[in-house]
Amino acid sequence: MGKFLVRRLLQIIPVLFIISFIVFCLVFVAGDPVALMLPEDASQEDIEQLRESLGLNEPFHIQYLTYMAGLFTLDFGESFRYNESALPIVLERLPATIELAIAAMVIAIVIAIPLGIWSATKQNSPVDLLATGGSVLWKAMPNFWLGIMLILLFSVTFGWFPVSGRGTFMHLILPAITLGTGIAAEMTRLIRSSMLEILNQDYIRTARSKGIRDFFVINKHAFRNALIPVVTITALQTSTVVGGTLITETVFSWPGLGQLLIQAVNTRDMAIVQASVFVIAFIVILMNLLADIIYKVLDPRIKYN
Amino acid sequence: MRKKSFWGFLMMAMVAFMLVGCSGSEETSEAPAEGEGKASTNADSKTLTIALGTDMVTFDIHDHNNTSTEAVHVNMFNYLFKKDASGEIHPELVQEFTQIDDLTVEMKLKEGVTFHNGDPLTSADVKFTLERVATDDKLQEYPNYKQIKEVQIIDELTFKVVTHAPEPSLFHRLSRLGSGILPSKYIEENGWDHFLANPVGTGPYQFKEWVRDDRIVFTPYDNYYDGKVEEWDELVFRIIPENSTRVSELLTGGVDIAVNVPPADWDRINSNEGTSVVQENSNRVVMLILRSTEGLPTSDVRVRQAIDFAIDNGAITENVLKGGAVPTLTRVGPGNFGAAEDLFNKFNYDLEKAKQLMAEAGFEDGFEMTLQSPRGRYLQDAEVAEMIAGMLSAINIKVNVEFLEWSNFVEMRAANENKEAYLIGLGNSMFDGAYSVDWYRAARFEGHTDYKNDRIEELLAASAVNMNQEERAAQIQEIQEIAAEEVPHIMLHQEKINLGVSDRINFVPTPDEMLYAPSMTRK
Repeated sequence: MGKFLVRRLLQIIPVLFIISFIVFCLVFVAGDPVALMLPEDASQEDIEQLRESLGLNEPFHIQYLTYMAGLFTLDFGESFRYNESALPIVLERLPATIELAIAAMVIAIVIAIPLGIWSATKQNSPVDLLATGGSVLWKAMPNFWLGIMLILLFSVTFGWFPVSGRGTFMHLILPAITLGTGIAAEMTRLIRSSMLEILNQDYIRTARSKGIRDFFVINKHAFRNALIPVVTITALQTSTVVGGTLITETVFSWPGLGQLLIQAVNTRDMAIVQASVFVIAFIVILMNLLADIIYKVLDPRIKYN
Repeated sequence: MRKKSFWGFLMMAMVAFMLVGCSGSEETSEAPAEGEGKASTNADSKTLTIALGTDMVTFDIHDHNNTSTEAVHVNMFNYLFKKDASGEIHPELVQEFTQIDDLTVEMKLKEGVTFHNGDPLTSADVKFTLERVATDDKLQEYPNYKQIKEVQIIDELTFKVVTHAPEPSLFHRLSRLGSGILPSKYIEENGWDHFLANPVGTGPYQFKEWVRDDRIVFTPYDNYYDGKVEEWDELVFRIIPENSTRVSELLTGGVDIAVNVPPADWDRINSNEGTSVVQENSNRVVMLILRSTEGLPTSDVRVRQAIDFAIDNGAITENVLKGGAVPTLTRVGPGNFGAAEDLFNKFNYDLEKAKQLMAEAGFEDGFEMTLQSPRGRYLQDAEVAEMIAGMLSAINIKVNVEFLEWSNFVEMRAANENKEAYLIGLGNSMFDGAYSVDWYRAARFEGHTDYKNDRIEELLAASAVNMNQEERAAQIQEIQEIAAEEVPHIMLHQEKINLGVSDRINFVPTPDEMLYAPSMTRK
């Protein structure tokens, strides 16, 4: 286990460098931000002058080497928009995104696990049809539409929740529902199919034939085994959650990493884009590693060598 | 029975949800409900909350060119001079000033002005501020201040501003973005980074908190030289990028002012009890920049005039923009120095004349051209471009509209890859017509528009150094008249600023789009 962890942690380094290289290339190809930084009536001379002073007229390899030199010390350079070091700006937003992501995942798990199990145990019943049909419908709803509808219904019409912003627990509810229910829809279907597979296993039939009550068969025998794919699904949803925050945070003015990244892309704030993608990639890799460790806890038969 | 109830409830819930989604203003016609999210629903609340579409970018007043950032800064920094609502420039931090010669202006600061940390305002602060932006070419505002050579300190409150060449627009520069006075002693003692995190100015409000992409909070400065602002105990700028969310906050009383309200939401706001849409002319004119490059049909003045006569600007402003803009034949509107006001609120539309001009130019059967346009940058820009394409088909011009994402649009312009025409909206933060008409200078747009008029060249050269303001205004006006005749750029309309405002406050927007809290009062 120890060796496995060390190996996996070391693997993170080249993965992050490859991701950084890809992001650098994409940002470079997209063009420099100088023309966007100056007003519409700036002259070509002004544009060239600013480009030179920011070092953006250097060839690709020089810019990349400068970027890589900084990366070794986690220095992504200065944000063109904020005129400050990029990484602290990104890290400053992280708590808000983590708060929203955790709340969304809690909602997703609370809805998806019971609904998925219930749906599997009542296969082809109205409940099952509702759960599977509903999850398809919910998954098809765009986040921004759902968010705006929730605001109109629960904030504008009923006045139950704040429209936007971050602060109290009440501020968290609507964005977390917007983000969490979409994930719940996907998880419900996966948990249902995973449970159905387990419920058809011989050992479940054996348990039932021994006269063990359904409640214990499902919770003690089937659920624990069904948890392994659920853990994978949950870990893989991390990237979906982060992707979802881009839209959800913008709709609800949630001051997190998603909103920052959207603005950085729009303004070609390269340093912020690079730092944000780096941090997000790191979190996703860590979550995948965590899933592998939980596997081990759930199923001691799994070997890592 | 229980199953039926369950299905019935579910159906009702879904129908209710869909109805809310599809309904227009019905749900907002009632008084705002009580809820947790209200920042200042109480009519007596002394917190003024303003919703912006984008966050302020920095407290470095010299390193941004962002109007919405400046709209926040004006509450905590003062300029040496200030424009009033009509565009007239008056001293602000300056008590008196004298034009010594074409290159030098001597100024004396008001006594008793202090920064929020208690330091008195001195000539050294002015020298520090203006020389920083005039010499550091990395700063975004450098191009607008590089004309200043130096600031010579005479005594604690008196100084001279010296320019490299005669600078007739100096006072316009000193009354705009980038010229707020910084505290030199505070910055030298604590460093620039400390200032950016804990900014101090001389303005009516002092900094309290900035949570990026969430809110910026200010409180009144007790020792403001013009008297403490008693109207508001707290000034909050909230950042709400999504239009519908910003409007929802206004409707529920979460904010007092919502900026940049799109036309689709005007009815919602006006039909809601306690809110209304307030409009004011902005300083941004939307226009078509034509290529006069030899060989192109648009190089013929008659073709350019025909295009102008074929566009029904009245239909555009009334139908597409719902009254959110005013037609114009000049980009130097009222409130700007040198405005040719007789060209404002006018448009040329005469289809027969347009056809006749096309025939005279030898293009009776028309031609094909490309119109490049951004999408979502200006009010209904894509719809305007499409409508123009439709209008020009009446004179047999087949217009291919090419929509570009904004950064690509900027690149296209910078690389001179513009085709026969592109649509753009241009502002003028100087409120000096000289900067607008400079767009007709041949050398500046060689390879871009390739338009040249010798008389305009003469007038541009003369007005650039003319310290006689009356003559300079006449020269700028003459350039606009020539341009209105030769139409190298076809003026479409001057956009309006559209804000949603709570009925509990008195607020008159200004063309410079500043959100100056001391000018807002409770009803």
